[in-house]
Amino acid sequence: MAGATSADAAGEGFLSLRGLTKRYGGFAAVDDLSLDIGKGELVAFLGPSGCGKTTSLRMIAGLIEASAGRIAVDGRDLTHVPTYERDMGMVFQSYALFPHMSVAGNLAFGLEMRKLARAEIERRVREALALVHLEALGDRKPAQLSGGQQQRVALARALVIRPSILLLDEPLSNLDAKLRDDMRAEIRDIQTRLKATTIFVTHDQMEALTMCDRVAVMNRGRLEQLGTPEDLYERPASAFVATFVGRINRIEATAEGDVVRLGGEALRAARSAHGPVELMVRPHRIEMSAGAAAPPQAQDGPRNMLSGRVARSVFAGDLQHYEVEAAGRLLSVERSTVSHEPPLRPGEAVTLSWRVADTFMFERAS
Amino acid sequence: MDERPASPTLTILASLAFVFLLAPVVIVLPLSFSGDAFMAFPPQSWSARWYAAIFSHARLIEAFFVSLGLAATVTALSLMIALPATYALVRLRPPGAEAMFSLFTAPLLLPTIVLGLAILIVFAGLGLLGTWRGLLLAHLVVCTPYALRVLATSLANLPADVEQAAATLGARPATVFRRVTLPLMLPGVAATGALCFLVSFDETVLSLFMTGPRISTLPVEMFHHVESRADPLVAAVSVLLVGFTLLVVVLVDRSLGLGKAFLKGG
Repeated sequence: MAGATSADAAGEGFLSLRGLTKRYGGFAAVDDLSLDIGKGELVAFLGPSGCGKTTSLRMIAGLIEASAGRIAVDGRDLTHVPTYERDMGMVFQSYALFPHMSVAGNLAFGLEMRKLARAEIERRVREALALVHLEALGDRKPAQLSGGQQQRVALARALVIRPSILLLDEPLSNLDAKLRDDMRAEIRDIQTRLKATTIFVTHDQMEALTMCDRVAVMNRGRLEQLGTPEDLYERPASAFVATFVGRINRIEATAEGDVVRLGGEALRAARSAHGPVELMVRPHRIEMSAGAAAPPQAQDGPRNMLSGRVARSVFAGDLQHYEVEAAGRLLSVERSTVSHEPPLRPGEAVTLSWRVADTFMFERAS
Repeated sequence: MDERPASPTLTILASLAFVFLLAPVVIVLPLSFSGDAFMAFPPQSWSARWYAAIFSHARLIEAFFVSLGLAATVTALSLMIALPATYALVRLRPPGAEAMFSLFTAPLLLPTIVLGLAILIVFAGLGLLGTWRGLLLAHLVVCTPYALRVLATSLANLPADVEQAAATLGARPATVFRRVTLPLMLPGVAATGALCFLVSFDETVLSLFMTGPRISTLPVEMFHHVESRADPLVAAVSVLLVGFTLLVVVLVDRSLGLGKAFLKGG
């Protein structure tokens, strides 16, 4: 349909959002969201509840009207196109299966709307059922299926129409933990095989990090950062991203250039700032050695050092969690238990050290 | 349907309630087979003569068919008005939807005697008294709010995302309504239909104001009959009416399941 206007030529992604905004009265549920998603990419919208991720998804699907901004797929402006003409497959959090239709009837619905021939519909329904391993259940009603099976039907129903974009709204949140792991792998597998351009809304950072090519972290209606899981983890763009993705220590301090004085000791960060800041470092990036002696300088760049005392030590299987009192604060430190070293005991004096490159610094409102 | 067994106390209370509700019906049944000329309990003699008398009572038979036609028309019209109105008020939510809903269902709160008097005054000026059209309009005023009420509950209980799912799959709004919304509302629609039919068929007070020598309904004729005579004819009619009502209820139950129609849909 939009063959002439190639999305790449316009410098936009396959799906392009520009300044997408949804206001309810004076409150902006989604505020000036711009991003591009490439063809075949799986991108997560990640954030706490109320961050605007589901509202964004519903605007893309046309279920909520945008207050401002533009939505385009493959160069075609869809901002004011009704839902039924957008050609997007959506999996709802509740699955939203048609309870009065059989599983096969649910899958056939979208194809009937596209006025395909009977034989073609039957062939594609069979294909879709095979895709989600439900070949034998085509005649069942949704109420006769387990939660996991309903989830598969919802996925197959969204995929059978071969949509331009697949939208998944917290699809795994109603499944128990074991099933969630299986479905996570299965969705990623099917998505990769079909090269389906997909947006995956979730509040679960593990889901976002492990399944998706890129993650858009949202907070209070705004996009905080769009990047690969590694980007978010290693190069968080904001204090919110650093704290929302993975565990992290937060140290409030005052910066003078790239030096931060903490008690009597000076710490450095990868960038410089002036005034009140938060220093952040992930617990498992901190090395800890017994005694006050300085550890041998590592080969991987300059390091920060603090001396402290173990306050608490908790065994958690693959990790030993410590809380270490240093410079008047408690810092979390994690050590792998793989080495079978005896754990350090509370009260022991230790030296902490971590790379300056692993030290994030963010301005904080004073 | 039964998820758990009822407690003995509940069973006893329910039985008492049933006895209280059904006792008049139980009295009416033997009365209807009375051979006496006057209503008295227990009857002195037994006969089916009052059943036979019904069929030679032309006014009653005529009134029965008026009531039947009236109830069927009122039911059809109530559904035709209330279905789109419900969809507009519950799904499209125009500004002031709640106020409009309260306004449209306000007749439910008014005593029918007050409604009847008000309609009498208005209809007298319009020449609608004692006409079929007048009766129809008056019954609509009572039945449509019931329909609106029950259908609104039925629609509000339907998750909107099922309809939204249909839209994402390419269905236009009219198709979504025809293939998803309406089939899922069917138990509620059936319950509404049965309710409207029975309310209209049974309506006495309002009809008393609207009927006249040219047209009358069955409940009004029965009322007039009891006013002037004390024979057991009315008991025989009552038994037939109970049977007729049961038939309507059983039909709804057989086609959809009453629990589903009245509890889930309504």
